[in-house]
Amino acid sequence: MLTQREVLSTLEMLKNEHLDVRTVTLGISLLDCSSHDPGHFMDRVREKIWRLAGHLVDACDEVGEKYGIPVVNKRIAVSPIAVAGAPLSSRDMVEAARTLDESAARVRVDFIGGFSALVEKGMTPGDRALIEAVPEAMAVTERVCTSVNVASTRAGINMGAVYLMGRTLKAAAEKTADADGLGCAKICVFANIPQDIPFMAGAYLGVGEPDAVINVGVSGPGVVRKAIDRARRADPNLDLGRLSEIIKRTAFKVTRVGELIGREVADKLGVDFGVVDLSLAPTPNVGDSVGEIFQSLGLESIGVPGSTAALALINDAVKKGGAFASSYVGGLSGAFIPVSEDLNISKAAETGLLSLEKLEALTSVCSVGLDMVALPGDTTAETLAAVIADEMAIGVINKKTTATRLIPVPGKKAGDRARFGGLLGESVIIPVRDAGGSDAFVRLGGRIPAPIQSLVN
Amino acid sequence: MKKLVLSVIGADRPGIVAAVSAILFENRCNIEDVSQTLLQTAFAGIFIITLAEGLAPDVLESRLRQGLESRGLHFHLEPLEAAGGPGAGGAEPFVVTTMGSDRLGLVAGVTGVMARYGVNITGLKAVFRGGDDPMRNVMIYEVDVPSDVDRRAFREALHKEADALGLDLSIQHRDIFESIHRV
Repeated sequence: MLTQREVLSTLEMLKNEHLDVRTVTLGISLLDCSSHDPGHFMDRVREKIWRLAGHLVDACDEVGEKYGIPVVNKRIAVSPIAVAGAPLSSRDMVEAARTLDESAARVRVDFIGGFSALVEKGMTPGDRALIEAVPEAMAVTERVCTSVNVASTRAGINMGAVYLMGRTLKAAAEKTADADGLGCAKICVFANIPQDIPFMAGAYLGVGEPDAVINVGVSGPGVVRKAIDRARRADPNLDLGRLSEIIKRTAFKVTRVGELIGREVADKLGVDFGVVDLSLAPTPNVGDSVGEIFQSLGLESIGVPGSTAALALINDAVKKGGAFASSYVGGLSGAFIPVSEDLNISKAAETGLLSLEKLEALTSVCSVGLDMVALPGDTTAETLAAVIADEMAIGVINKKTTATRLIPVPGKKAGDRARFGGLLGESVIIPVRDAGGSDAFVRLGGRIPAPIQSLVN
Repeated sequence: MKKLVLSVIGADRPGIVAAVSAILFENRCNIEDVSQTLLQTAFAGIFIITLAEGLAPDVLESRLRQGLESRGLHFHLEPLEAAGGPGAGGAEPFVVTTMGSDRLGLVAGVTGVMARYGVNITGLKAVFRGGDDPMRNVMIYEVDVPSDVDRRAFREALHKEADALGLDLSIQHRDIFESIHRV
């Protein structure tokens, strides 16, 4: 017999604290679709996505209904197109993006990731063709997401690729200028990209992965926040050690939900179950915010001194609780701090309590990086590249994933608002200090060597 | 060995289970399963027992009467029947929860739908303490839904009934509660 508390606390998490499964992402390998004939390649891609993902949405809905837990997003991650479609020209790459977009629409998923390249040590012709196609591809498609890995702890930072991504972001923003540079909201630049991220825009299926695999992203910032609030109401003298324990226990519960649902969806589809990604992922809804957790821990707002320490505590506690709850943990696994996608963080940016520099500091203790940060439209490719390079350095030196999703909003300046719509939210445009002061450094190019693995200070 | 069901009911106070089990012990009857519950001041206990070799049920019954009636307890003794659970297809455990303002007919309405679909209730807790405060009027049913029942139709019928009764109802597979709360 279940206890009344077990039943009622679960319902409370569902009804009032936004507990859900944020995404069930089906990874599909497209490596066997490869062909010198672009038309043939795209036919195979269409066929394979339809064959494997045709029932994804129904399976998720059915399982979600059985357990009373909504699966908010159903998504697809494919092999990096720069590899699967290596022989394609840049123009064909745009067509490949259209093919992915149509396939995603056909199986009713809202995003498909994997228009991607891995270039941390250098580029193949396929990588170049893909990156060249990115601005056009992001403008003519709705659902396709791009990720480009430009750095790793073992390879260092490919500064040529970093600079190229700076220029690519500028071009992508210009092509979607009427939508505040929306194209850039679908482009992630990574250091140490994991092969099994279920979350967008960074999801792709690594080359070491199975033919088809289900990876799950749980959510739960609202649940964590409410658990802290309840505990502090019951005992106002709780210290940070005890509060960390509360977060850990809550992360355990949230992760178990993801594990249960992911495994059952994988069973239904007859594919492998991959990982649960233990990230606290916010949405632009009140009560579903990572930023609010900082306030529950006694800080006026994310961004004030103490924020980095608080985030380190949150991130670590989520990992400890989640790792115990799931057999396989992977993806990004850490708290997200996407500025425009989190009402509370967006507000902190607006009031000036959260600056670009503080955001960068925060990313040294959490996944994922400078995420959904709207910058002035006149930010140059060189400055964007320099911001990316700084973020990559944090990942490379600390042996962790970091990423940027920067949007230089065309025609707008610091303090203006950028609106991306839906889950991507809206945000004030954050100023970049000393814009232009990094040009000469960025233009030097080359590779920043891989860091030494001893002498760890 | 013959199995019997002994149910005992009365006003709660210390010593009820001791009195019943002492009589069973003196008559060499083995207790296989026992469960008791308290609702406000009322005690109810149910014992599955195996009868001692050579002991007739009516002899045990008269000894129970002697021992229990003087304590103000009522009891009933009868042979245990074979289980009448779900058919060959098996069943899946679900939890139905309702919240809403108290009024007449809530339990009857919800359980009526369950009976219509052949859904067996394996556990029920219902507390109506809150008057108009829905959070304090809660029914939690643990049920076995036979595999051949159309779950969607059952779910819709439950929700329709709940709407008519002004209840907020949810139905979830039991595993979700186990997963979340138990290691």
